[in-house]
Amino acid sequence: MRKKAGIALAFPAWAWLLFFFVIPVGYVVWFSFGYKPGIFGTHANDVLSFDRYLEVLTPTFFATFQNTLWIGVVGTLACLAIGAPVAYWMAVKAPPSKRGLLVALVMVPFWTNFLVRTIGWQIILAPNGWLSGIMQAMGLGPLDILYTRPAVLLGVIYNYLPLMILPLFVAFDRVGPALREASKDLGAGRWTTFLRITLPISRPGVLAGVLLVFIPLMGDYITATILGGAKGNMIGQMVATQFQTAQNWALGSAMAIMLILIVLLTTAVGFGLVWLVGVPMRLRNRVVLDPVPASTAVAASTSPNGGAA
Amino acid sequence: MTATDTRTILSAKSTVTPRAKRSRGDLGFTVWGIAVLVFLFLPIAVVVVYSFNVGRLLTSFTHFGFDSFAAIVSNEVVRNAVLVSVQTGFLAALLASVLGTLAGIAMARHPGKWVWWFLVLLLLVSVTPEIVDAVSLLPWLVTLGQDWGLSFFNNGIFRLVIGHSLFSIAVVSYLVRARLIGLDAQLEEASADLYAPPLTTFRRVTLPLAMPAVLAGFLLSFTLSLDNTVIAAFVSVAGSTPWPVYILGAVRTGLRPEIAAVSTIMLVLTLVALAVVALVLKRAGDSAADIARTMAGG
Repeated sequence: MRKKAGIALAFPAWAWLLFFFVIPVGYVVWFSFGYKPGIFGTHANDVLSFDRYLEVLTPTFFATFQNTLWIGVVGTLACLAIGAPVAYWMAVKAPPSKRGLLVALVMVPFWTNFLVRTIGWQIILAPNGWLSGIMQAMGLGPLDILYTRPAVLLGVIYNYLPLMILPLFVAFDRVGPALREASKDLGAGRWTTFLRITLPISRPGVLAGVLLVFIPLMGDYITATILGGAKGNMIGQMVATQFQTAQNWALGSAMAIMLILIVLLTTAVGFGLVWLVGVPMRLRNRVVLDPVPASTAVAASTSPNGGAA
Repeated sequence: MTATDTRTILSAKSTVTPRAKRSRGDLGFTVWGIAVLVFLFLPIAVVVVYSFNVGRLLTSFTHFGFDSFAAIVSNEVVRNAVLVSVQTGFLAALLASVLGTLAGIAMARHPGKWVWWFLVLLLLVSVTPEIVDAVSLLPWLVTLGQDWGLSFFNNGIFRLVIGHSLFSIAVVSYLVRARLIGLDAQLEEASADLYAPPLTTFRRVTLPLAMPAVLAGFLLSFTLSLDNTVIAAFVSVAGSTPWPVYILGAVRTGLRPEIAAVSTIMLVLTLVALAVVALVLKRAGDSAADIARTMAGG
């Protein structure tokens, strides 16, 4: 009875998503096994093959995939490196009364239109813009990075940075001062406390931040369109071109599916690497934790993080 | 005994020297944090400043004036684009709130194995890149509207509402589920014990309990829809172009100061909506961290 009521309540959302998400995406998967018939057709599925996927792997298109993956990985790591200290500052160092204000300050750029923010960068980076003018006055020569890969990288780091800071802030905030103080009282230094208390507990938040940045970044379309020229080409643009101008739905579909597969694969490899790196640390913790006898402060100082890891 | 004493003395000694070091480290964090905040606000500030540019091209500032704002008032295309965006945003938010609230309540109050499957579907919806949603919706809407002759799928606003609702439904479902799971089901049980029919319990107990999450979800959906560019660019039809798509078109043909002026107006609109969300959540008793979690999309 209760279960039936639940299914009835969820049915409208389920039906809507089935009809406007699952079926259309299913069609794209189906198109990707077809081909483009002649100049005027967009897709045909009378002969099924993996040829479109092989076509995606040819050097012309594959270079774009490599480029996107490079921007995705470097951009995500840069967001982590830039955002983590900010999140730590907001959650731990800044006075608690200011915390709400700081969160609001990070949220405003996040909720400002993506396109508008990117256009802001176009104004800043323009070769005849004010930044270029300042650089010329300082004798650094005109700024000439608009429509290049560095400009796209700058744009994506900027655009996705709040998506890294916010989950990291939540994660660091959750650790709370009590455990950190306990660690300090037991003689651990600041780095030890961070590496063995704060980081293990906030790990889910770090993973959430990395995923929240990496997944949309790989599918980015707007930043690459506005700040990147031919050199800053990304998969999102390539997919759009196949559907809008080239009218080759079969190839575009195969590219879209490849994009999803690459995102999944990279995420899996990344998590695998993180897990491997964590193995020695977990082993060491286990070794330290095992001798239960009251050998005083040494065992006690390691137990809280052993429990958390 | 003696070992512990030495340790205490050592640590007492060491707290004296790191004190200065620690405050230097704190200063480093503060400087870095403020620098990043400046970085985050830089392009937004630039767009707002350049919206007061009186010149033919957006990128070269000539002098200060309100011409671009006056140009919007007289430019029917821009006004229409903003109107389409606001209409779409309202309808998409309404749809997402109704469907998402029902689904969220169902997940929180009628648990079972189906919840797991439903969450997988919502997860898929939220991790699929927008560009994939966009390219899959376009052929599907063409099929429905032209091949199957369902002409309401050719309506520009309706197409936009469909495209914008997908992610928002997932967001509202997460929010409502999270809120109700945090609250005990005892109130609803009490209501049932007092002979309230299920529908009355739903209307008088469950819905009011979920209301802060529903409101937050509505406003977030509105903002998400207002900002949606990628899906909108694919599914919109001539005559009902939302403002981000209009701006994207202008990026290709040449940016004029009116673009910055529209952006400034929409920025103010977004900020007002977000301030209301934050206020609703704060009155419902959320901390800064809770609000951050909600606003980052669950």
